[in-house]
Amino acid sequence: MSKIRKIVGSTAMLTVAGLLVMNMTGTEVAKAAGDRAALVTINKNPYPSTYEPFPSTTTVIKNATVLTGTGAKLEGASVLMENGKIVGVGSDLVIPYGTEVIDGTGKWVTPGIIDVHSHLGVYASPGHKSLSDGNEATSPVTADVWAEHSVWPQDPGFSRAIAGGVTTIQILPGSANLIGGRSVTVKNVPSRTREGMKFPGAPYGLKMACGENPKRVYGKKGGPSTRMANMAGYRKAWIKAREYKAKWDKYTKDYNAGKDVKAPKQDLELDTLMGVLNGEILIHNHCYRADEMVDMINMAKEFNYKISTFHHAVESYKIADILAKENVCSAMWSDWWGFKLEAFDGVDENIPMVASAGACAIVHSDDGNGIQRLNQEAAKAWADGRKVGLDFTEGEAFSWLTLNAAKALGIADKTGSLEPGKMADVVIWSGDPFSVYSLAEKVFIDGALLYDRADKNTYWQSDFELGQNVKGAHQ
Amino acid sequence: MRKSFLKILIIAAAALSVGGNLASAKILAIKGGIIHTLGKKGTLRNGVILIENGRIKRVGANIAIPDGAEVIDAAGKIVVPGFMHSGSYLGLSEISLTKDSNEHSAKKSPFSAAFDVRYGLKSNSVVVADNRRHGLTHAISQPSGSDGIFSGSGAVISLTSSPDMVFAKGPMIANPAKAGNRNLGWGKIRLILDQVTYYDDNRSRIMKGEGPGDFLLTPYNMDALVPVIKGRQKLVLMVDSVDDIRQAIALKKDYGLDVIISGAAEGWQVARELAAAKVPVLINPQTNLPSNFGALASSFHNAAKLAKAGVEFAISPGGMARNHNAFMVAQMAGLAVAHGLDWDRALRAITLSPARIFGIDKSFGSIEKGKIANIVLWDGDPLEVTSNVAHVIVGGKNYPLVSRRTLLRDRYLGLKNKPYAYH
Repeated sequence: MSKIRKIVGSTAMLTVAGLLVMNMTGTEVAKAAGDRAALVTINKNPYPSTYEPFPSTTTVIKNATVLTGTGAKLEGASVLMENGKIVGVGSDLVIPYGTEVIDGTGKWVTPGIIDVHSHLGVYASPGHKSLSDGNEATSPVTADVWAEHSVWPQDPGFSRAIAGGVTTIQILPGSANLIGGRSVTVKNVPSRTREGMKFPGAPYGLKMACGENPKRVYGKKGGPSTRMANMAGYRKAWIKAREYKAKWDKYTKDYNAGKDVKAPKQDLELDTLMGVLNGEILIHNHCYRADEMVDMINMAKEFNYKISTFHHAVESYKIADILAKENVCSAMWSDWWGFKLEAFDGVDENIPMVASAGACAIVHSDDGNGIQRLNQEAAKAWADGRKVGLDFTEGEAFSWLTLNAAKALGIADKTGSLEPGKMADVVIWSGDPFSVYSLAEKVFIDGALLYDRADKNTYWQSDFELGQNVKGAHQ
Repeated sequence: MRKSFLKILIIAAAALSVGGNLASAKILAIKGGIIHTLGKKGTLRNGVILIENGRIKRVGANIAIPDGAEVIDAAGKIVVPGFMHSGSYLGLSEISLTKDSNEHSAKKSPFSAAFDVRYGLKSNSVVVADNRRHGLTHAISQPSGSDGIFSGSGAVISLTSSPDMVFAKGPMIANPAKAGNRNLGWGKIRLILDQVTYYDDNRSRIMKGEGPGDFLLTPYNMDALVPVIKGRQKLVLMVDSVDDIRQAIALKKDYGLDVIISGAAEGWQVARELAAAKVPVLINPQTNLPSNFGALASSFHNAAKLAKAGVEFAISPGGMARNHNAFMVAQMAGLAVAHGLDWDRALRAITLSPARIFGIDKSFGSIEKGKIANIVLWDGDPLEVTSNVAHVIVGGKNYPLVSRRTLLRDRYLGLKNKPYAYH
């Protein structure tokens, strides 16, 4: 994170100094003194977020059971939101005059749920070929594609997800490819544009995939057809990326030393891979099997980058100690298993077993239905763990849906817990969110009430559904 | 820790070896707890259930437990009939994406209606064993599809992990959408049913070559549809939209078929028509996305609205929950409750209702005298996601809560005690 902010910061400074102009290829050219060509830098954010928080009023939720997302559970507590931020959590808050008061008696309050693995927008409803934009299954390495350029903001799935308390979503390319392209993290808000949903300041992710999927897709299309060829495919890509990075580093260094040097040719695919090597883009790695996860960790060491999260990770419980030591998160289902051989060893206790080893555990959906009840999926994992002596509190288990997910996405300084200064992404539940009978009643994003089960005026309806469905009839 | 681990291993080993044993003549008694019988006795507190020869012998409040009976103490437990999935692939698929462990499809074969899943069931399936430990005790196991509209016949199975798992032949499955479009689908189904009727009436002439030989289906596929046109075999039609539901109702009326609708995502919009036509439906309560143009009005409140209109329905989730996660019927019933369905009605939708819908309620669906003893003890509300199974009894046999997945779990939990190489 700090690395990312530094780079964003220095770019901003250059912009302020009026030194940057855009050229045709999307690179930024700084005019330099003398007769040298201008310094060429790559524009790292050509499609910036235009998201603005929706209007909000200062609001306090009083006398609720609060799970802070950091592991704590507070009884009879209040949560105060002002100007889109959390300003206080506790039982003795000073409430400003004129604050809107919501009686939280009998209710539970949590941070908004963050789904680190979704294909909403890229595999939208209705599930037609014309909306199937998640897998660029034409080449095993497509680091040049960006999921955000496939996201359909009109996917009716977004409006279902918010009714499940989901406020932030990472949308990923599919897993057909060894390296499938960039992910995008969005605020779950209605928007006409993709940029209007993009989570401000969230780093990009890069989707990679282990195992069966790339083998199956490319086995008869020129390979890879084996796991060893999968490994070779990633490594070849990283070798190219390493060379590319060396060229740009040398160019920048020489230029700054006053030399008259020519910039390397920009390559979209290698830009993304270089972003990973520079620590700016986070690796989100679809990987089921323990042996493959360890290989991916070793490869990350070989090329000096970091893996943020293994996704699906059905065998993380087998190497939970290694994942803890290497500081890699696992994003998991509570109980899906067996739909392919690499998922055959899935166990119901995977999530609590990973957490109990001290590794970062996350509950993810990868599913337009599952995203609507991630709280229930966490509850199942929590109860299954408890049954075999892995005893977590509900407060701790809720961090599997919130703070750990925020960490995996590089946004833990902004959201994922109810702490002063953070975005007021907040859910009021009708009861204990670890019950199948509890529903999200009110959902705030940056302090704005974006969903209220009791108020039809807050229901969203995508353009696609307008005139075909009754607003809110899906719930 | 070491000792308890050894114990788990011994139990596990025993569990793996006793799979094929028949229920013993010994009496099994379940004593105490809260028993939801789903029968005339309603809900019993501190009642007793006696089980003999795989069937329920007695249920009631003041029943003496015979000497020598094996007693399961249900104090603090919730006792319910074992849950049923009404459209699974259980016993027909070990791993979805492998070629050699999937027996549920007639695709790329000349079979359609003639396909019958009873011959390819895997009695020692690890998927069956894992669903049993989650409280599922019986199911409809059914074909997933063929190259035609009719996919073939399913089976009623008990999750016994033994060769006696088939209880009866199940329903005929049909998916009109397989014809290409809706006109083709309903037109073809009607034509096929007309042809099967004609074929059945004139079989000997046709076999002698004296009748028309130009049928849409081959004789062996038509043979398989004879019980359907005579109303002796139930026909499950997989449809979602209001228009297709109405076509299914019309088909039932026009041909006198015993129709069940599976899917019915938009069923809530025609709930009264379904009730009036006495057509039962199998629904997936999590369906609320407009996943295609025939399911735009999918809604979480489908179950509640069907119940209100008096439609008989069972909860039968699809996708992953047709096989490996078929046990999710319980969570899906809970989800329906969260969206307005009565708790009792939800419990019935995964026990007695499906048994009645498939005509097997003399043997399944409630805890009543004479029925097969498929009974599950839960440590809490069985529809709640944080509850777990305490005991599973299938066909009167008390099964250990062990599956390949629990053995994997225990092996890796045990790494704290000894290195991997010694597990």
